[in-house]
Amino acid sequence: MDINFIDLGTGSVIFLFLVGFVGGLVSGFIGSGGAFVLTPAMMNMGVTAIMAVASNMAHKFPKAFVGAMKRHKFGQVDVKLGIVMGISAEAGVLYGAGIQETIRELFGKAGSNLYVSSVFVVVLAIVGSYVLRDAVKMFRSENPDEEKTTKLAKWVHSVRIPGTMMYFKSIGTEISVLFTIPLGFATGMLAATIAVGGFVGVPAMIYVLGVPGLIASATELVIAFVMGMGGSIKFAWAGYVDIRLAMIILAGSLFGIQLGAIGTTYVKPYMVKIVMGVIMMLALVSRAVVIPVYLSELEQIDRLSDTTVLMLKNLSFGLLIFALTVGALIVFNALIKGMRAHRRKLAEEQAPVGTFTPATAPQQLSPMGRLERIMLVTDGTEYSESAVDESINVARRCKAKLFAYSVMPTADLESPLAAPMHKQAKQEVVDRLLEVRKKAEAEGVECEILLGHGEDPYTEIVDQAEQSNMDVIVMGRRDKGDLVRAMLGSTTEKVIGHTHSDVLVVPRGGKIEGKGIILPIDGSRYSDAAAVTTLSLVKQCQAPVTVVSVAVDERLRDDARMLAEKVQTLMAESDVKVDIDVRVGRPDEAILASVKEHGADMIVMGSHGLTALERLLVGSVSERVIGQAECPVMVVKL
Amino acid sequence: MPERRRALTRTLSYGALSAVFYFLLYTYNETILHYSREGGWYFIIPVGIAFTFSIVHGNFTGQFWDLFGVKAKTTKK
Repeated sequence: MDINFIDLGTGSVIFLFLVGFVGGLVSGFIGSGGAFVLTPAMMNMGVTAIMAVASNMAHKFPKAFVGAMKRHKFGQVDVKLGIVMGISAEAGVLYGAGIQETIRELFGKAGSNLYVSSVFVVVLAIVGSYVLRDAVKMFRSENPDEEKTTKLAKWVHSVRIPGTMMYFKSIGTEISVLFTIPLGFATGMLAATIAVGGFVGVPAMIYVLGVPGLIASATELVIAFVMGMGGSIKFAWAGYVDIRLAMIILAGSLFGIQLGAIGTTYVKPYMVKIVMGVIMMLALVSRAVVIPVYLSELEQIDRLSDTTVLMLKNLSFGLLIFALTVGALIVFNALIKGMRAHRRKLAEEQAPVGTFTPATAPQQLSPMGRLERIMLVTDGTEYSESAVDESINVARRCKAKLFAYSVMPTADLESPLAAPMHKQAKQEVVDRLLEVRKKAEAEGVECEILLGHGEDPYTEIVDQAEQSNMDVIVMGRRDKGDLVRAMLGSTTEKVIGHTHSDVLVVPRGGKIEGKGIILPIDGSRYSDAAAVTTLSLVKQCQAPVTVVSVAVDERLRDDARMLAEKVQTLMAESDVKVDIDVRVGRPDEAILASVKEHGADMIVMGSHGLTALERLLVGSVSERVIGQAECPVMVVKL
Repeated sequence: MPERRRALTRTLSYGALSAVFYFLLYTYNETILHYSREGGWYFIIPVGIAFTFSIVHGNFTGQFWDLFGVKAKTTKK
């Protein structure tokens, strides 16, 4: 056969690198994967089938080598089992390749493709569904860490055939090699047929030999190495290896395999099974959709049009990439979550949680409208500058004590690069807090500062406010239309959703000068609470109050007026005179319009305290007002 | 912080070595492919390249993630 090496453009190099990375990530985690996308991907670039297989092999064995070494460090590899199975797998590869050739000679290319696809679908349907079912069962069991040995594995352990017994440390007992040989052989045969032997090898080790899932997936890397090296030598002997392709893929896949291998140390054993099962089921669909193409080529069904054939083939390839991507995303997610949980635990062990000075006996018992302890949250951006000024302003007017708080991400104490960076960032935050204290003390306000650490700033803020008995949390707000805010949701929103303290949200440039307070009401307990807080506020610092009641349509105007008058009467009992403003329209728009017309500089409103999911489903008037108001908004919590 | 500096030096040197190897592969790709195509005992060339790259680049990628704090979970024994 003629051996032609294709020309490589930048696009193909980047594509191979990326697919290599994703494939490496998955195989570092489950022991195999990637090949079933890489081989067709190379063929799409014009590489002949045999050279695609050969080059894939030549990248697979060094990748498996690095992965196996890495996971060996974690104590997950049974080298002996890997070598024993790897050698029989090698025989399986040769036999499988022979069968392929025979089928090709007898039934042509379409026949061979049909054989490959059918084997793929049948094997993956059986094994994949079993693996997934087992993963779900483990996940739901009382002890998800525990892997049960199957009845079949127990039987295999009990069989003793003299002269064939071998001890494997991962199994913890002697088993007959008469079991491992056919399993290795089948793995190799499948690797030669569908390019992913691991889809049979790993489940076989788990369910037939009784090897724990994590060890099985790590040991599969040894099998892949032995098998891949044998295969590579065979192909290289015939001159089919395009080492450039192999090394480009390897460049990406070694980044991936390191990550995938690290990932296994953070997850519970069932995750390996979930990733494997999901990829198997998706890959199965991808092969199933092209079966009609081969059937039509063999004239077993009506001939398909060229466009249909092309569409099905593209769909199949797309599904393969999708399968790999989904697998990689699950691995990523598991890795990030696992690392975060681990770091949180380490940080908890290492850093004692700081708190502000606890509250002495409060002058006012009811927390409603109490303004004795004000917590300022600053993140040092321009968005929290006005919050700093206004918190000092309010603390001065109400003779309250100010507590300035900042939250930093938990330090990664293990990374040599991150530690100095963290130290520098910490210094900046502390300097900022000191500056706030200086500013407050210049205004005659007593101020304490504290720096917190955590993965999610909002949970730290909410916890700190709770522990230190804060009456109100003062925070800045990102501008509307801010992309980061739109994508991630803001810390302020999350704090409002979860805290029990009141929250004063100060937008950029917002100033409280006592020009007027707008009190929107809707007759709920929440707006009653806002009314009580307003009463307490105006007693401490004089300001005209306007009660705004909004009817969504004209017919409800009288009801809205009644609600407003009720509040007016109740407030008059406390010697506070208020105006009322009844409007018709969308509540948020009406409230903001009222603020503008009355020249008010503060809104006091109740919040139903929606969490993210509820907000997503229903949204809330207070949230829209908070997001759009140009003056500070006091959100009163019950 | 000698350990940190050592880690950084290790990563950079493996990275540089890996880059040199890839550069050589790129420069001499035609010669390498010519011998690869011959087959037979020349199989040593692609297989040897694969091994060398796996060690050098493998060490680099391992150090690389390490440097960014992505490391395996350590359990106290």
